Amino acid sequence: MAEYEVRFDSHPEPIRVPAGTLLVEVAQQAGIEIQQPCGGQGRCGRCAVIVESGQVRRRSILRLSKADVEAGYALACQTVIEGDASITVPPPEAIQRRLTTDHIAPEAAIPEGYDASRAQSVRRVEIQLTPPSMDDQTDDWGRLCASFRRETGVERLNASLDQIRQLGATLRSSDWHVALTFDTGQNGEARLIRTQPADAAADTPLCGLAIDIGTTTVTVWMVDLLTGQVMRQASEYNQQIARGEDVISRIIYASKGNGGTELREMVLGSINGQIQTACERAKLATDDIVKATITGNSTMMVLLLGIPADIDVGIAMNSAGVVDPLPGVASYVGADITAGVLSSELRSSDDLTLFIDAIEEVWIDGGTYEPDCRVIGNVAARGICGSGLISLVAEMFLTGLLDKGGNINETLDTPRVRRGRHGPEYVIAWAAESDGAEDIVIARVDIDNLLRAKAAIYAGFIVLANSVGVPLETAERVLIGGSFGKYINVEKAVQIGLLPDMPWERFHFLGNTSVKGAYLALIDSAARDEIAEIASAMTYIELSADNTFYEAFTSALFLPHTDLSRFPSVEAAMA
Amino acid sequence: MSIEIPKDKWPGAVQTVTLGATAEQGGTRTKVVTIGGEQTLPFMHFESETPNRPVIAMEMSSSRPGGWSQVLQDTWGDVLDDPAKWAQACEQAGAELIVLMFGLTDADDNPITPDFAVQTVKAVLEATGLPLVVLGPGQVDIDNAILVPIADATKGERLVLGLCEEGNYRTIVAAAMANDHLVLGRTPMDVNLAKQLNILMTDMGLPRDRIIMDPTTGALGYGIEYGYSVMERLRLAALQGDAMTQLPLMVNPGFESWKTKESKVGEGVPDAWGDWAERGVHWETVTAVSLIEAGADVVVLRHPDSLTRVKESIDELMAAEPV
Amino acid sequence: MALSGIQIYKMLPQTNCKECGFPTCLAFSMKLAAKQVELGDCPYVTDESKQQLAESSAPPIRLITLKGKDAEVAVGNEVVLFRHEKKFVNRPGVLIRVADTDEKETITAKVEAATAYIVDYVGLDLKLDGFAVEAASGDAATFTAAVDAVRKSSNLPLILVGNDPAVIEAGLTVLDGEKPLIMGANAENWEAMADLAKKAETALGVEAGTLEELAELTEKIQGKGVEDMVLHPTGQGMSSSLALQTQIRRLALKNFRPLGYPTIAFAGSGGNPAKEATLAAHSICKYAGFVVLDTFSPELVYSVLVLRENIFTDPQKPIQVLPAIYEINDPKPDDPVLVTTNFSITYFSVANEVEGSGLPAWLVVADAEGMSVLTAWAAGKFDAESIAKAVKQFGVGDKVSKKVIVLPGHVAVLSGELEEELPDWEIRVGPREAVDLPGYMKSALT
Repeated sequence: MAEYEVRFDSHPEPIRVPAGTLLVEVAQQAGIEIQQPCGGQGRCGRCAVIVESGQVRRRSILRLSKADVEAGYALACQTVIEGDASITVPPPEAIQRRLTTDHIAPEAAIPEGYDASRAQSVRRVEIQLTPPSMDDQTDDWGRLCASFRRETGVERLNASLDQIRQLGATLRSSDWHVALTFDTGQNGEARLIRTQPADAAADTPLCGLAIDIGTTTVTVWMVDLLTGQVMRQASEYNQQIARGEDVISRIIYASKGNGGTELREMVLGSINGQIQTACERAKLATDDIVKATITGNSTMMVLLLGIPADIDVGIAMNSAGVVDPLPGVASYVGADITAGVLSSELRSSDDLTLFIDAIEEVWIDGGTYEPDCRVIGNVAARGICGSGLISLVAEMFLTGLLDKGGNINETLDTPRVRRGRHGPEYVIAWAAESDGAEDIVIARVDIDNLLRAKAAIYAGFIVLANSVGVPLETAERVLIGGSFGKYINVEKAVQIGLLPDMPWERFHFLGNTSVKGAYLALIDSAARDEIAEIASAMTYIELSADNTFYEAFTSALFLPHTDLSRFPSVEAAMA
Repeated sequence: MSIEIPKDKWPGAVQTVTLGATAEQGGTRTKVVTIGGEQTLPFMHFESETPNRPVIAMEMSSSRPGGWSQVLQDTWGDVLDDPAKWAQACEQAGAELIVLMFGLTDADDNPITPDFAVQTVKAVLEATGLPLVVLGPGQVDIDNAILVPIADATKGERLVLGLCEEGNYRTIVAAAMANDHLVLGRTPMDVNLAKQLNILMTDMGLPRDRIIMDPTTGALGYGIEYGYSVMERLRLAALQGDAMTQLPLMVNPGFESWKTKESKVGEGVPDAWGDWAERGVHWETVTAVSLIEAGADVVVLRHPDSLTRVKESIDELMAAEPV
Repeated sequence: MALSGIQIYKMLPQTNCKECGFPTCLAFSMKLAAKQVELGDCPYVTDESKQQLAESSAPPIRLITLKGKDAEVAVGNEVVLFRHEKKFVNRPGVLIRVADTDEKETITAKVEAATAYIVDYVGLDLKLDGFAVEAASGDAATFTAAVDAVRKSSNLPLILVGNDPAVIEAGLTVLDGEKPLIMGANAENWEAMADLAKKAETALGVEAGTLEELAELTEKIQGKGVEDMVLHPTGQGMSSSLALQTQIRRLALKNFRPLGYPTIAFAGSGGNPAKEATLAAHSICKYAGFVVLDTFSPELVYSVLVLRENIFTDPQKPIQVLPAIYEINDPKPDDPVLVTTNFSITYFSVANEVEGSGLPAWLVVADAEGMSVLTAWAAGKFDAESIAKAVKQFGVGDKVSKKVIVLPGHVAVLSGELEEELPDWEIRVGPREAVDLPGYMKSALT
């Protein structure tokens, strides 16, 4: 097959590739990072590059205007090489994101009367061995096992060949005084995790990790298993975002070529980076971490663990430590939910409770901006987060800038309402008022996206309530988990019809319930068992299999809702 | 044995809407049409009187329609070239209402102008005393460009102007409000969307007695059941007291059925399809009667024989015998 | 009335034992409410609950099955007033009437043609269900000869119509091992008719002008041991029949057993097929269990059978057309290939627009489980693989010389992958909406 040379403006050497190679692949070979928030489906337009010269074929030009194409723009994920070409990659948009979870770490109270040795399965014992002598020539391993049995009453200790090989050196260097870390596990058979000199162990905590992998954010808590104390909490954006902003995009990306491996490495990067930092700050080694519980939505779990799950997960911790991926229910109800149900104590309450989780952050495309939204860092924001958008749309709606269908009122006598490239738009800030070269606008398409997102969420509530035969309004408590929740202004969210209209005191924000559940499961075997029970007692309602969802969805595709009587407070506000 | 007949007593009723205005009422029509007002499901005379019968409208075009079935062209003949004569022929055939559709071009294939549109409407109004529904070709800019001057030039006639759709209702509603006309809102076969458009239009201050809704239907064999159920559901919601669904329903069995292959194609079709012309009329009639059973207040037809047959059914359905 | 999932749940053990194959008792109850599983799948349900559930699931309208020589028609079992609530269960039987006063040749010709009638509608074979033979002569021998003539020309189920039990009984002698409907029993003849129905094991039609009379008759007839009945409310005119049919359905759904039977409507209108079409439409929409036509003409029967199919589709399920390659306007090998999904409305929109334009094209309908283009794409049912599979399966490559395939604009994203799947083909992206297809075909494909 013919080969061609592709030159990039930012790369000294031309890359030789066979005809028909996708531009993103060429860029990867050159080590040039191109964002693909939609996972390479040609939907988002963020991978646009400029073809300065040469022969390429654009399979799809969705998101590009005719003028864009004439100016040489092409979507790197949809364009193939058909001759020598020279490509300019525009500087990557700095994706400005606000780390939310670190501000809203939920209270992690140590359970009352916490006793590490009874509550969870990893233990550490100090053992003083009698050195071998002419009378006692038992081998090291047998010697250790005998002492271990005497000390703990546990009949059997299992270890790997490697652990046994290294045993001799440790025993001798520690003067036969060692600390054994082991997992009691099941059936009275313990499994050795680590052997250390006793005096070294005295200074190191027994560390565990509670890890929550969100589509957007990865959260890691480092926990002292002996006291139950949370030593550090950290959150970071999931690096996979560069390969798809939502779950579907990730799945699509994972199914292509080495996509799955790449995504796995990315999320491990996010997790292990935080572990390394935490270890450095706490002056610990990753080997000091002996146990981890992991939650996350089902896709994130699969992308991390792969199927089957019996491979080395790759977390930066003691390689003999216990890794416990928590159980979920179904493809859309993962361990993040079961852990969330645990930590929100949903099960111990008789109140009819609506628990909302997994509202991912809603972002809108660059070029739109909301005046009240704080700019993070010194960079002008390119998009706004969901909570800002909710406030903006609620205000536009109540002031009559938007009709109930989300249409911008073009008959208003203001230059701020005009026809833009994508239909009617409202100018939030003129170019002169902002640092940008262009006016900052919110377009009909942005509003449509928000409307669809909020309608899907609200329709979910309705279908769920209907399926168990209770009216949504009778929920006595609404628990909102997830990092997004904390920033939702309840009043505004009700005004656009995202949350049901009910007394505000019924709403409770819990923050990241998932990682809190992972924490409880980490330090408390009973809690871990309860998660398994929760997973088996939950009834999963498949929304998309139920045609009442479509009905509920279209009726929610309105501001605040087609049935205004469901939103009495909004009705009153409009009167 | 005595049986208690189950009777529904509904809290809601359909809005009564009058189309057209006589000279005393500020227009020039010799006949007006009143629809709506139902307080129960179609023809449940044992529960409540049906104040207004379903109305049959005939569809005609501003110039000879391009894609019409040969069966229709043969039936109507030369009047298709003259809107005024066509309107008269509709009236003679028994139509109670005329629906005038504008195409994108005139008879000479030139794009239609506002002036042409106004003249055509005036010619039709002069040729017939029936109330008139005027529909643009369905492209936002052209619809707005012709409907506004038409509304201005016929102030007080209580024409029905359309189509109002979710993304394009403001201009037409404003023109109707300023000139004492009515509007037709069309939504694609969905109860919620129909209701939403009514909310948006009434939010502009348009009174409910000036709105007719077209929830869209499919022809027999081509999705009629969707339209049928949407209409039944809208009517049930109206009777249950949902104000934003309490508007009369107008649907187009003529347009829908005459674009099907069954009605359009006469040759090379299976023998089991039977006679072409009769099949076309059956197709239109069966579609129309079914939709009337589902709650249609106006059916727009194309073939004069269908009109006769559907009218006979309406006569029978309206006969309120004691039961 | 049918119970909701949560009501059923309350009658179950609530142990989440999973032995029924579902993860929780609630999940099982919801399946049970949707009638997708059997109560017997739960090993721990109590007898009391079993009985309660059985009562709640007894059909308010009796299922009546007529049997001919090699065909059956079943009606009844309906549970709702409106088709959007839940699927109408059994399509009404559509039958053709012949009278024993007709010439034998006329009867034979009509019955043979009607029996042979078959019409394809979206891949379904629509047919008539049987014949009603009317004892218009009042003479047993004449009637018997007419029934014999019908039976010699058709094996479909029969209705024997006449008020003289002796005449009907004579007609029944021709039939062997069948279950016809005989009608009708009225205030005068009901006892003899009931005895006959009991003896001959037929279903019995019951005729009266008011609900009271109908209910009284069915109770008395049931007292004679006849269970299978069909109601014939004999009101005059569409208004009256609509009222009666509606009231019968409403009362039956309230478990008023004396009217818990399917109904029959005669659409014959003195030889006026135009009127028959409207009456048949009326009866199919509003609750008839059997519809009897006088006229057999293909165009009439086609429209009536299609309406029946439409009204009786499951509103919860999309109607599908057969995945296949459809020829529109007699395409030649160098005409374009269009692709769409097998959701019926999607298919019709595309087929109608292209057909209306007069432009020839090959339309490949891929199996997307009856979803529209966007929905199917989002659900992963309409992707490059499924399109390529359809193209190969239907041998599209052998039919055309110009290998150009047009994708719906909504799935432009698939063009790259489809190129890989179909390397010999040129992939083009068409418009998003079917209505723009003719314009696109004229400007972009010629």
